[in-house]
Amino acid sequence: MAVDASSAACNLAVLDSLNEDSIHEMVESWNRFCLASEGLLIGAGNLSFGSEFVSQAQILVKYGLESLVQQHFLRSVEEIFEKNGATRFWSHFVPYSNVAALEINDDPIQRDEIQEVLCKALEEISSQKQYQEKCLWMLIHALHSESATKSECQIKSDAQNVPLIMKYQLMVSSVLMTSLPRHFPEILHWYFKGRLEELSTIMEEDDENENEHKVQDDMDVDEKRQLVSRSGDMDVDGCHHQRGFSEKNKLVKNIGMVVRNLRSLGLTSMVEDAYASAIYFLLKAKVQDLSGDDYRTSVLESIKGWIQAVPLQFLHALLAYLGDSTDYASHSSGLKSPLASRHSSCYFGSEEPSEGLVRWQLRLEYFAYETLQDLRIAKLFDIIVDYPDSAPAIEDLKQCLNYTGQHTKLVDSFISSLRYRLLTAGASTNDILHQYVSTIKALRTIDPAGVFLEAVSEPIREYLKGRKDTIKCIVTMLTDGTGGSNSASGSNGDSLLEELNRDEESHENTCTDDDINIDDKQAWINAQCWEPDPIEADPLKGSRNRRKVDILGMIVSIIGSKDQLVNEYRVMLAEKLLNKHDYEIDSEIRTLELLKIHFGESSMQRCEIMLNDLIDSKRTNTNIKATIKQQPQAEQEEHDESLDVLSATIISSNFWPPIQDETVNLPAPVDQLLSDYARWFNQIKTPRKLLWKKNLGTVKLELQFGNREVPFTVTPLQASIIMQFQDHTSWSSKDLAAAVGVPVDVLNRRISFWISKGVLTESGGMDASSHVFTLVEAVSDNNKAGPSNGSFEELMVGDDDGERSVASVEDQLRKEMTVYEKFITGMLTNFGSMALDRIHNTLKMFCIADPPYDKSLQQLQSFLYGLVAEEKLEFRDGMYLLKK
Amino acid sequence: MTTTMNSESSNNSNTPAAGPVMTSSKQPVQSAKNVDTQSVLKRLQSELMALMMSGDSGISAFPEEDNIFCWKGTITGSKDTVFEGTEYKLSLSFPTDYPFKAPKVKFETGCFHPNVDVYGNLCLDILQDKWSSAYDVRTILLSIQSLLGEPNTSSPLNNQAAALWGNQAEYRKMVEKLYKPSS
Repeated sequence: MAVDASSAACNLAVLDSLNEDSIHEMVESWNRFCLASEGLLIGAGNLSFGSEFVSQAQILVKYGLESLVQQHFLRSVEEIFEKNGATRFWSHFVPYSNVAALEINDDPIQRDEIQEVLCKALEEISSQKQYQEKCLWMLIHALHSESATKSECQIKSDAQNVPLIMKYQLMVSSVLMTSLPRHFPEILHWYFKGRLEELSTIMEEDDENENEHKVQDDMDVDEKRQLVSRSGDMDVDGCHHQRGFSEKNKLVKNIGMVVRNLRSLGLTSMVEDAYASAIYFLLKAKVQDLSGDDYRTSVLESIKGWIQAVPLQFLHALLAYLGDSTDYASHSSGLKSPLASRHSSCYFGSEEPSEGLVRWQLRLEYFAYETLQDLRIAKLFDIIVDYPDSAPAIEDLKQCLNYTGQHTKLVDSFISSLRYRLLTAGASTNDILHQYVSTIKALRTIDPAGVFLEAVSEPIREYLKGRKDTIKCIVTMLTDGTGGSNSASGSNGDSLLEELNRDEESHENTCTDDDINIDDKQAWINAQCWEPDPIEADPLKGSRNRRKVDILGMIVSIIGSKDQLVNEYRVMLAEKLLNKHDYEIDSEIRTLELLKIHFGESSMQRCEIMLNDLIDSKRTNTNIKATIKQQPQAEQEEHDESLDVLSATIISSNFWPPIQDETVNLPAPVDQLLSDYARWFNQIKTPRKLLWKKNLGTVKLELQFGNREVPFTVTPLQASIIMQFQDHTSWSSKDLAAAVGVPVDVLNRRISFWISKGVLTESGGMDASSHVFTLVEAVSDNNKAGPSNGSFEELMVGDDDGERSVASVEDQLRKEMTVYEKFITGMLTNFGSMALDRIHNTLKMFCIADPPYDKSLQQLQSFLYGLVAEEKLEFRDGMYLLKK
Repeated sequence: MTTTMNSESSNNSNTPAAGPVMTSSKQPVQSAKNVDTQSVLKRLQSELMALMMSGDSGISAFPEEDNIFCWKGTITGSKDTVFEGTEYKLSLSFPTDYPFKAPKVKFETGCFHPNVDVYGNLCLDILQDKWSSAYDVRTILLSIQSLLGEPNTSSPLNNQAAALWGNQAEYRKMVEKLYKPSS
């Protein structure tokens, strides 16, 4: 025997002193010891070999063979454990080796089976282990009864530290680990998951019951006690006040037993992994379940509540049952849950939650925050779409992000969903702007400093810059809403107009704070409120101190320059003012005042002049009419139409946007009226003269069919067309065009209004190009088809089919750009090739016509890029040249 | 059918603040000495504008960088002349009392033409004794363009060219041989 020899070799000195008898006795007792220990271990539960075993061991120890005895015994224990314990233990799980692949979750029968098997296997192996431990203790006692140095109680007290037991523990876990089947962690996972689900259903029932029976609680105390006493003697403190506790208790006890057994087998980390992952799984499912697709309610609180109610209760019970929270205590001293105080008062009375529990709570809450945050971020686009309603969801997200700090995730995900869903050709500019405003508002809640907003809005802004109608939409959003005519666009407009108003208020506020002392105080307060930028802030973009999340500013800055915006506004205003027939401009004045606050007086000057023109017109108009009345007689009898029906809008055309000019022959009486009016004007305002823009303005007229009168509001051209039919009921298109004074194609375009109203009919004439229009006298027939009584009274046909009184900004821009194009062609013809800078400088120097060249280098570059795309220019090595 | 008219038309009042009328360039010659640089600048400026907007094909000119008194011009040979398909660069330098004196015009690209010498000087009546302030860059360029197709062979600067003019086919060959387009 190798061990024998080596051990004998070590004790050479002792050997010398041995005599025959003692050697004989030694060999004898060794053999007997081996037999006894084998008998003891194999004959499980049979302690008949005990006394023999002990006595032989004692004899051997006397000869100084203590280590030999220990080693031999441990080895046989290991052999037996490996053969019987571990193999048998694992063999229980063989039928479930592919269990992880199958969805056992869906099969409760199989799940229960696993639970049973697990419990049974654990019990079995534990009992075996206990028995072996008992044997070990026997040996230990035998060994130590000889050495008087240690008293029994001392040995017991630090049982963990007895080297033999430690060795044994190590042996057990290493045997199990080496033979561990791969699917065992899965089985554990499913086990805990199943148990926890059971538990959470019980808890939920509890909750309901609790709510129902709260009143009866006092009466039920006795009963409850009975239940508790019946349910067993397990002492889980702090949880007894729950109803339905027995069931839960049993469950927790069951789980606790499994956990303890597994732990004693040295599988501590595996079991912790298993129940932690099960808890996380459950928590995730819960969060997903609670958050859903409804953004109108805050779910964070209920999630937190659930964490308190289910997993934490479970953990509390489990840890209490296991009686050790010591594992965590050492390394969690510094942590404190933000909810700790509330939590302890609510659920555990005055008792402080153990460190381990607090750690768990922090982990779970973080996990919940993260899960919810991920869910919300994934849906952020939809959330923002119904922003004002979805404020609770945004609030939730804000809290989550405060906790997790994963703002970049939000930015990345949101940008990609923007790209995918919003910044596509299919989305209308209005929608994009609306979404942008909502985004600003929503992200303002999450991040008042605006750092992430900046990142998110970058792609939107870039995209909007590429859209032609952006400016127009923005201006509409800014100025509409006062009219409140259509609710759909009204809501958009309102939001920006609101901002304008708010801005005004803030301006007023700052104005009142003019006092220096207050300023100092304010500065101090501001300084105290200072918060560092989030680390994600881009340091290149300057101090965040002056960054203010100002919706209006952000929207306007898309356009680039406020001049463009003002220009667009001017065109819109002109259009609006020219189509007015009362001089009511209160809302326009109000909007203008607001815009003035924002953009400065000087830039809005022209608009102000336009409004003043309207006010002046009103005065002049009444003035003229009053003058006419004073000197009646001749004038008034001359015409059957008096000047009363006429009201003029007198504009200072230098300050108005370019106005579309179109000649039209008005009917003679009306023309006469106009020139009379001009004469009166000249008398009052010498030396000024009126120049009529006859194609502009509106005409209210009434058509009389038999005994019915139908009112219309139309353009002057349409009015004079229909007037022609007063004398002749039928006109060929050529003759009519000549009479009205417009080209035939214009006539055809305009006359379609009357045809669509059923007042005129169109029929083919002599040749294809000329049509004949006939007045419909038999109105009764047509009235059925056309809109009935007076519903089209308010019909304004001002801006359909591109009929506008003012040249749009795009038209103006296009005109400007053709000038530039010619200049660029000119210089490139003569100089061959030029760099961007030089073209820019040359244009600045020589293109000073009206309007002078005022574009930025970037604008020029994009314009040149357009020309290159049209194959008019070539771009080579940084130089532009004409395409040959 | 009766029609009641209730017309509100917009109109345009001549505001008295129209500003002083810009001094016309066609002023009597005696004021030439007093003419200031400002009005010359204005004149050249508006000529440039007119030229750019005119869209005449085959003629073009543009001021050199930062000096509006020195222009570069480009003329392409008209169709159906021996100069078809060729392009000539010109330099135009305007006197400070322009438009009362004619600008100096020179060919920068060598041009085989009876009225153009080897140094690029050209002989054109409106640039010498027949100058009038009514001419402008555009008319000068158009005149030079037409001069290419209709040379005055009676007073040539380039005798060889004048002699060859009668044989258009040979002349065309010569033009092609001597033509060196600017890069």
